[in-house]
Order: sequence, then C-alpha cells, then structure tokens
Amino acid sequence: MHIYPFLLAEVQEQLPAVTEKGGKVLTGTEKMDGTQIAAMTIVGLTVVFSALLILVIFLYCSGGIFKKTGKQKKTAAPAPAPKKTAAPPVKPLPKKEPVSVAEDDSEIVAAIMAAIAAMGAADGKNYRLRSVRQVTRTGSGRTVWAQAGLSDATRPFA
Amino acid sequence: MGGVIDFFTNTLRGLWDDSGIHALFSDGGWKSLLMILISFVFMYLAIAKGFEPLLLLPISFGMLLTNLPMAGLYHAELWQLGADGHIDYGSVLRDGGLLDILYMGVKLQIYPPLIFLGIGCMTDFSPLIANPKSFLLGAAAQGGIFFTFVVAGLLGFTAAEAGSIAIIGGADGPTAIYVSTRLLTGGGAITTGNIALAAYTYMALVPIIQPPIMKALTTKKQRAVKMEQLRTVSKTEKIIFPIAVTIIVSLLVPSAAPLVGMLMFGNLLKESGVAARLIDTAQNALMNIITIFLGISVGATTKADQIFSLKFGGVMLLGVIAFSLGTACGLFFGKIMYRVTGGKVNPLIGSAGVSAVPMAARISQKVGAETDPTNFLLMHAMGPNVAGVIGSAVAAGVLLSVIG
Repeated sequence: MHIYPFLLAEVQEQLPAVTEKGGKVLTGTEKMDGTQIAAMTIVGLTVVFSALLILVIFLYCSGGIFKKTGKQKKTAAPAPAPKKTAAPPVKPLPKKEPVSVAEDDSEIVAAIMAAIAAMGAADGKNYRLRSVRQVTRTGSGRTVWAQAGLSDATRPFA
Repeated sequence: MGGVIDFFTNTLRGLWDDSGIHALFSDGGWKSLLMILISFVFMYLAIAKGFEPLLLLPISFGMLLTNLPMAGLYHAELWQLGADGHIDYGSVLRDGGLLDILYMGVKLQIYPPLIFLGIGCMTDFSPLIANPKSFLLGAAAQGGIFFTFVVAGLLGFTAAEAGSIAIIGGADGPTAIYVSTRLLTGGGAITTGNIALAAYTYMALVPIIQPPIMKALTTKKQRAVKMEQLRTVSKTEKIIFPIAVTIIVSLLVPSAAPLVGMLMFGNLLKESGVAARLIDTAQNALMNIITIFLGISVGATTKADQIFSLKFGGVMLLGVIAFSLGTACGLFFGKIMYRVTGGKVNPLIGSAGVSAVPMAARISQKVGAETDPTNFLLMHAMGPNVAGVIGSAVAAGVLLSVIG
C-alpha cells in the first residue's frame, strides 16, 4: 500500500539512500538515521492533519446545509399558526386562577420552611428563612434545576 | 523385582525431566519465573487497583500461561518469518497450542477491527459533528505518536520497534495491537504483548498522568473558560457521518480502512436505528468474546526468552513519554485555538484528543470543574476524544504504509 504519491515523493527526496521494499519507505528491521526519523515525523503529522482537516471541511459544509434546511423548516412551520388562534375565541381564564398560583407559591415556601425547621429541630437548632428570590438562569445559561441535574450526572468524574 | 524398580525410577525420572518444575530450575528457567512474577504484578494491578481489568486481567493471565515451562500453550518459534518472508500458518495449525490458534486472530489482524466494531456501536459522534474543530485537537494529540517515534529512533530502536512503541501514544489499545502485530515480525526483543501491556497500563493511569501536565501547561483563566452549548445534531447528519468518514479516510490512507471502516460500520448500525439486534451482539457478546481471545493471546506473546531484556523497560518508559507528549500536544493546540477564537475554547479539551475514550474526556471535565465547579466540559471534550480514535487510526495507517 502506497501512501499517496506526492508525500511518497517528498520522503524519497529527503531520503536518497532509502531502501524500497514492497512499496515501503522504511525497512522495519533497520535502525534509522536522523533524516529518516525527521521525514517520518513530518510526513506522519502532515497526513494525519490533512486527513482530519478534510473531515473538518466536510463537516462544516454538511453542517451548513443541515442548518439551512433546518431553518427553512422552522420558518415554514409557523405560517399557518395565526389561523388557528383566530378561529376559536379564547375563553378568559377565571380570575381565581392566578391567585391560587400565588397561594401555591407561598404554600411551597411554607412547606420548604417547615422542612428546614423540622431538620433544625432534629439538631436542636432554629433556622429562619430570610428571603426568597427568583433565580431564572445561572451564569452558564442553564436553569437552576438543569444545573443541579448536570452536576449530579457528572459527579462520578469529579 | 529389580526390573520393576528400574522401570519405576526411570518413569519417575522421565516425569521429573518433563515437568515444569524441573524446567523452571534448569538453564534459563529463572527468566520464566521472573515473567510469572511480573504477571502477578499486572494481575494485582487489574484486580486490586482496577487498572483496565477487562483487558489487563486476560493479558496478565496469558502471560502466566505462556511462561509455564513445558505447557506448550504458545510457541514463539511458529510465528517467526520463514525463508519466503511469511509465517507458515500450516505449521501453526499443525503444531500450535491453544493460544497459538487464538493468536492467529491477532496476527491476521481480525480482533482489533472487531473490537472497533463494538466501540463504534457504543460511540456517539454528535459532539464532534456539532463542533468539527474538535477534529484538529484529535489530530494534534497524535503528535505524541510521532514525537515518541523520534525519541525511540534516536535511542537506537529499529523502525518497526519505534513505530510500535510510538503508537502507544495513541492511547488506543486495539490500534496499538493492530500496528505492533504487523510491524513486529518476531525474533526481536519487543513483542505485541509488551506493547499491549504498556498501552493498557498507561490507559488506566490516564487520571494520574494527565492532570499535572494539564495544570502545568494552562493558566487558571484558560481552565475557567466556559464553552457555548453544542447545537443539536440531526439524525440524518449522524447517519451520513460514518459513511462519509469511511470513504474519506479509506481513500486517503487505505491502510487505516480496516480500523476506521469497522468503527464507522458499528456507528452506522447504532445511528440507523434499524439494527438493534446486531448492535446488541456487536457491543456485548461479540466484543466480550473478542476481548477474551485478544487479551489472553496477546499476553501469551510475552515469553521470557523473547522479551526479557532491557528493552522491556525501555518500552514502558517510552510509553509514558508517548502519553505525556500526546497530552501536551493536544493542550498546546487547544491553547492555539483559545487564542484564535478569542478565548472561546477551553484548552483543557485538547488533552482529550488522545483517544482513551471516555477517560480522557472525564479528566478534562474533572480538571475544569476543579477550577470552576459550574463549568461542564464533558460533552465538549468528547468531541476531541472520539476524534482521537479516528486520528490514531489514521496515524496507524501512516505507520503501516511507511514502515515495512
């Protein structure tokens, strides 16, 4: 098996005394001199980089195509949406609903406080909940719950 | 009566002469004894320390079996090249022991590609597809292979030996076995088993070898870089990827085709979603069977009279140099990408470019999280990590193309 011709030529140019054996440039059982070692290293790195670079280019091209088609689908999709919203008259939500949500929130806070108090009581300590703040996103752009889930999933490696 | 006693003593003497104990304490037997003790060390590392036990345990037991004198499980002399420059497989089948027969799968380069089939079934390439730049980090880490080749060459190893030692830097067991079994034609001081032992030992030591290098070569600011979330990759892209990689790599470096081809075939089975039964067999039953055959027969090549020399130590030493250089090259390229992208790439993902999937990626995650616990590099590091598998297969192809 030949490494592609231009690189083979490059090696042979640098190695005038190379023994060709079955298409191979270096004979396995012989010790190498400095030029052979250097040529092998340069060729090796060049081939690995160029092969993977071609794959990078391929992926960028195909990725670009898929992003485009993905966007087209997305822009095409919402077009019929307004018709739907126009057709059935939306019933106004009963006024009670938002109030109950707020109550639910305060109930959650109360339940959490009760849990903390119970935990403190077991240790003989008193805890007070001083404030409840709304945190939407952390610095990494994730919600607190997503962050907690991710930490949990990656803990085995830490 | 005298005849019976003579017969009795002669039989006993014959049994004694044929026994392993006699051979162990006769000329050169101490080498076998030493190799058996070394096999115990590797068994200890596998069982008590959990060093890649699925491979190191079969390899070390193969090492024990082959060094038991007179047991005849493996015959190094059968694997020497004949006058025509080829191995006489007829005599292997005729005179070979159990491990000789199993070793045929290694020598004929059947097992490593089949292991790659199973790995392909288990690998998710989407982090790489989402961030194609990762490929370059996977390529850079292969610098460990080629720079180790330089060191080994300068130390006076032959081209085949230097290539086999250098491939340890790819941090990929099947690839290392694939290359060394083809380059090392027998009769030399280094065997495939020797290379495999070094490769798997250091793969298990990745969590110890890599972090100090990673911390030494990066600044705290660089390690704290948070990378943008990767885009989602469509199913069609995942299906096209293995087909395209197979075609591109096989056309560029044909000698890498068996490894890359099987890796990508396994991946296509996975991503196609229509071959659940085949995936199940490839990644479980088939891979386990091959792992047993591969491990025990590769271990068998470490016969005392074959490998006991200073070169054994040399291989172990150069192996760790190869790993360290690979890590350093990946990090160095990561730093270049950090500069070029204006600080958007965390250089720590570069060290994952040495294959060792998924351990190297986990180390990137771990070192990143040490600097900033809210930094999650795992999926970003998986890109260079799986690119490293492809990169080391390509590097293997280059070595096999040039060295004969």
